[in-house]
Order: sequence, then structure tokens, then C-alpha cells
Amino acid sequence: MDYIIFILEMIIFPGVLFVTILSLIYEWLDRKIYARLQHRYGPLYTGPSGILQPLADIIKLLSKEDIEPEVADRWIFRLTPIALLTLPLTASMYIPMLELGRGLVSFEGDLVFVLLLLTLYSVSIVLAAWASTNRFSSIGGIRTAIQLFSFEIPLVISILTPSIEAGTLSIGGLVLWQSRNLPFIIMQPIGFIVAFLCFIGELERIPFDIPHAETELVAGWATEFSGRKLALVRLSMDVELLVASMLLACVYLGGGSGPLLPPILWLILKSIIILALMSNVRALLARFRIDQAARGAWLILTPLALIQTLLAVTL
Amino acid sequence: MTAERDVEREVEVEYTRLRIPFGPIHPALKEPVLLRVSVRGEEVVDVDMALGHVHRGIELLAEGRNLIQTLYLIERICGICSHSHTTCFIQALEEIGGITPSKRALYLRTLIFEMERIHSHLLLLGVIAYEIGFDTLFMFTWHVREKILDLFEKITGNRIHHAMNTIGGVRWDLTPRMVEEIDAYMREVEKSVKYIHNVFMDGTVEKRVCGLGVLSYDDAVKLCVVGPTARGSGVDIDVRRDHPYAAYDELKRDFSVVVERGCDVYARTEVRILEIFESINIIRAILDRLPDGPIRPKENVFRLMRGIPEGEAISLVEAPRGELLYFVKTDGSGGLKRLKVRTPTFSNLIGLKPMLIGCEIADVPVIVASIDPCLSCTNRLIVIDQERGESNVIDVDSLRHRVRRRWMRQ
Repeated sequence: MDYIIFILEMIIFPGVLFVTILSLIYEWLDRKIYARLQHRYGPLYTGPSGILQPLADIIKLLSKEDIEPEVADRWIFRLTPIALLTLPLTASMYIPMLELGRGLVSFEGDLVFVLLLLTLYSVSIVLAAWASTNRFSSIGGIRTAIQLFSFEIPLVISILTPSIEAGTLSIGGLVLWQSRNLPFIIMQPIGFIVAFLCFIGELERIPFDIPHAETELVAGWATEFSGRKLALVRLSMDVELLVASMLLACVYLGGGSGPLLPPILWLILKSIIILALMSNVRALLARFRIDQAARGAWLILTPLALIQTLLAVTL
Repeated sequence: MTAERDVEREVEVEYTRLRIPFGPIHPALKEPVLLRVSVRGEEVVDVDMALGHVHRGIELLAEGRNLIQTLYLIERICGICSHSHTTCFIQALEEIGGITPSKRALYLRTLIFEMERIHSHLLLLGVIAYEIGFDTLFMFTWHVREKILDLFEKITGNRIHHAMNTIGGVRWDLTPRMVEEIDAYMREVEKSVKYIHNVFMDGTVEKRVCGLGVLSYDDAVKLCVVGPTARGSGVDIDVRRDHPYAAYDELKRDFSVVVERGCDVYARTEVRILEIFESINIIRAILDRLPDGPIRPKENVFRLMRGIPEGEAISLVEAPRGELLYFVKTDGSGGLKRLKVRTPTFSNLIGLKPMLIGCEIADVPVIVASIDPCLSCTNRLIVIDQERGESNVIDVDSLRHRVRRRWMRQ
């Protein structure tokens, strides 16, 4: 019986189905906020206020012709979209949604594991770019790799710094610790800013959308994907956005802890705040060049993250 | 060389150099041009340009029509500076026919001309913002531009192809209410452009446009670039001041020529921003001093058209992108013997090569945009790729022959 409930939880709530639907709603929110900041309406016609637009986009892409380049590395080209979707979905299982202390699955050290999954996501992007053997894709893939090397280290430092203070490496443990004490954004504001900027880099959003800068590289590493594969790629980006904002909410904003409302609502609320911040940054800045982004990550973000760690250790 | 072998050479990738086809169809380009950019890592080492994807044969088409029909045809050369083209053409005709338009007509021509300059420059500022990935600024700039298009619609009835000019004058007059509306809009646009100017001086934008695409003063003079591209490199030329046409002679004191010495993308952008302010000054002066009188001759245009004798004339105007040149040769019976158009982008495109070499891939779109390329106006190389898989360069005469034969068959 336990197994059946576990499998149902895995598939429906708060597992794959719930996360997918929620991530589509997050994409809609992101598009809506971004559009309103630009004097536009954003999605409007599909469903109330266009809330079904992301779903409609996915369904449309699923029905489109799927073209594979003749010279592409077939198997990697076919497998990477699946890997791209699987990795953030797996990561979402470790986010403590229903209870404060633990996610659907969790163990001591799952924070590191989730970070590994997010890194593998970027590695899959590089593979996808390499397999599609397109010139734009290759350059996009190289840029993704450069960005991975630049943002990974400050990101890991800034995400792991709270666990020094809390003395635990599990996401649930961090959330529990914060529900008893103050959230980490108050104690380690620099760390939050660094992690926030690094996640924008990992998610490849403006101003760090360099790997798929459309005016330079068409669609960057995703240029050759079409039809179902593109649908999977698009969906995976949404899920990664959701996982990243929820992870940040868990580590720095205290996750599901809060009065009155159940944990899941608090978590969604807090991650939406982070999403709105990301949309604001997206509307506010121009795209950096890859050298500028890498320099910024190594010379500004990494030292800042280290300073935060030192402060956390000494204070 | 056959087309196939050309493709093969494209696919071949050297490990130190990668050739990226930038165009003819590319999100950063609004019109087709092919820039073959060779890169080493992210650095551009060579650029090769190919034009001719949208050759429309307008010069040839014009020769088979009468002058009034040609007037509407050449308006379609450019979708942005359509009024510049008709003004330039009409000026040549008026010179040949000895027709002098009334003062009011000249002022109205100048008014539309300057409004078009504002509209064109705003369009380009938006495009530059878009190329550096700053979509919010792009949306904002085009939001401002949208209103001037509405204003065009109120004055001339059309948003893009105004069809304002006619032989010996203009087709539409201003009402006092329109004068007020234009004045109110100018205040609004002044405020918005000041804001846009501030945003362009912002940190992240500055990072992407300063010190890029340098075209030195010497290169600019040597390559004969025109318009804001030349003025951004410190070359002090402007047809409006140097060879005044329309009402610019009387408005000389109301504007100054903006020259920047930065030589980079930012300088070219700033020239355009400051030129919008100058245009606003000109428009205000025009509205202040708009003379009374008829806007066009009483005679029927067709009679005027038939009255234009055989002759030839060269006409110059300062289009938003730079100096636009027309050579017009009439046949004396209401038709054209020869029409030759030299659009500003044709002069400016050649300046791209020194700008691009040494920059990074990420900078290619914004540098290309910074000369404000209007490529459809520029296409004139006739390379016909045949079904047999050969590509031939065909000279104008044999093309003319072919087109005529096809016409005859139909």
C-alpha cells in the first residue's frame, strides 16, 4: 500500500504532473510580468489572461514535424532532450514541498545531489549542442560550457554556506533550521545575491542568455531541435526555472516555513517572489558578452561568495 | 565555380577558423544580406559580404512607366525613408521642368522629412537595443515611434508610404488642429528621447556599445561613408547644410549638424539621438513660420508631367541614413530614359569590414545595426542561380533583354 501511494505521489502530487503544471504556470507568470514591465500585455487569449498559453505552445510543438539533421549524432541528439527534462524533474523530488523537513525522497546530503543534477543539466546542453553539429549550436554549447565553469563555483559556495551555519547538508534540514531561527537571507544577504545571480546564469536568462542569444546565434544550442524534442527542451527549461527558484526559496527564504498557510503554499509564494525578481532583472538589463559574464563571475561573484563563507565561519 | 562546390567549401571546418554564415536569413537581420564571418574562437578575423537576395529591378521597372507611376514605384524602394526617395526624385523632375513649388509646399515637405527622420532614428535605436539583448528598451523606443506613425496617418492618410509629394508641390495640407497635435507630440517625444538617451548611457548598455566597431576618421573619408555613420566618425557632412534643398535654406539657423568623434557604435548611436533633438527644433521652426499659400499648382499633374522636357538632373537629399542621390534622365514625353539611385546604405555597407574585423561574434549584430542598413534599397548585383546548378553574373543589358522577352510572352 505504501508503495502505491509513493508511486502515485511520484507521478501525480507533488511529483511529475504537479511540477510540470506548476512550471507552466511559472512560465506564464514570468512572461506576464516581463510583458507588463515593457508596456505589453503578454499572453492574453488562451484561457483566462492567457494562462494556458505555455501549455498550448507545448502541445503545438508536440504536433509539429520533428526534423533531425543528417549529420547529427543521432542517439545523443535524441537522448539529450529526454535527459534535459528528466534531470530537473528528478531534482524537484528532493524539494521539500508537502512537509517542512523532507521532500518526496530525501537523504542527508541531497543538497549536493540537487546541485549535481543542475550541473548535469548544463553538461547535457553541451552534449546536445555537440550532437546537433550546427555551427550556431557548437558556439552556443561552448558558451554554455564557459558559463558553467564561471557560475558553478560561486553558486556551489553560496548554496553550501548556509549549511555550515545550520550544520546539515539536506534541504529539509536547512528549512527546519530556518523555521526555528531566522531565514538565511537576513543573515547572509551577500550569499543570497550571489546565488540569485548565479542561478540567472545557470538558467541562461537575460542578462546571461548568452548561449542562445538570438540576435547572434539564432537559437544557440537549441537551433537544430524541432517538434517533440523542442517541446521537451522548452518544458525542461520551465521545470529548471521552477526547481531553481524553489531551491533558492528553500535555502535562503526558509522554504515552506511560515504561519497559517500549509508549507506548499508558502513555498510557492516565496518562489514566486524570486521568479518576479528574476523577471525584473530580465526586463532591466541588456545582455552581457561572454567574456564580460565570465570575468564578472570570477572576479566579482566568486570573491563575494568566499567573503560570505568567511563571515559565516567567523561570526 | 559551381554552387555545389561553394557549399562544400562552407561545410569544411578548419580547426582554427570557423565560418559562420550571418544571414541571409537570421533573427538579427531585418532584411537579407549574407555576411560570411570567419571566427577564431570568438574573435572575428575576416568578413565577406554578399548582396543580391532581394534585387527588385526597380530602376528597370521605372523606365517602362510614366513619371507619375514612377513616383509611386520609387516610394516603395524603402519602407522607412519613403519620403526621402520621392522628394529626391521630384526635385530632379522639377529642376528639369523648371517648376518651382510654393513656399508652403516646400515647408510641408521639410516637415514630413524631419518627422520621417525622427521615426527612422527611433526605429534604429530600438533595433540597436534589441541586438544587444535589451528588449525593454526596444519595446519602449518603438512605443514612442508608434505615435509618430499615427501622426503620419492623420496628416497624409498613410502610416508608412505617405505619398505626400506630387509634381510642383504636396498633396495634403496641414489644418490648425494638426499643428497643435504635432506640437504636443514633439513635447512628448522630446521627453521620451531624453529618457532613452539616459538609458543608453546606462552601465550594461555602455558595456555593449562603447569602443566597438571603430571606423576611424581616415577610413571614413577613404571609404566615402555618409550620413550618421560618417558623422559618428567625425566627418562633418550633411546635405541639409552643404547643399540646402526644400526649405532647409531658410531653416539653416534652426539646426546644427551633430558630429561625434568617438568613431564607435556608441558615437553613431548618439549622433542619431542628438539628431532627433535637432529634428524637433526644425519641426518647431516650421510650425512657427509656416507660410500661407497654395500647396500645389492648379494645373492637372498629367499636364505638368507631359510638360517636362527631355533632360537630365542629379538630385541630393539627406535621408535619415545619409546622402541619397538620384540621377534622372527624362525622355520628354512623360517617361524616363534612365533612373539611377544611390542609396546611403550602399555607401555605408563597405565601411562594415574595418568595423567588424577584430570584434567578437557577440558584437557583430550591433555593429551591423549601427550603420542602419537598409538592404533592400541596396541590392543591385544581379547573380542568377540557375536550375542547372550554375551561378552566372548577368549584366544589366542581357537581364533587360530577358525581362522584356518574358513580358512579351505574357
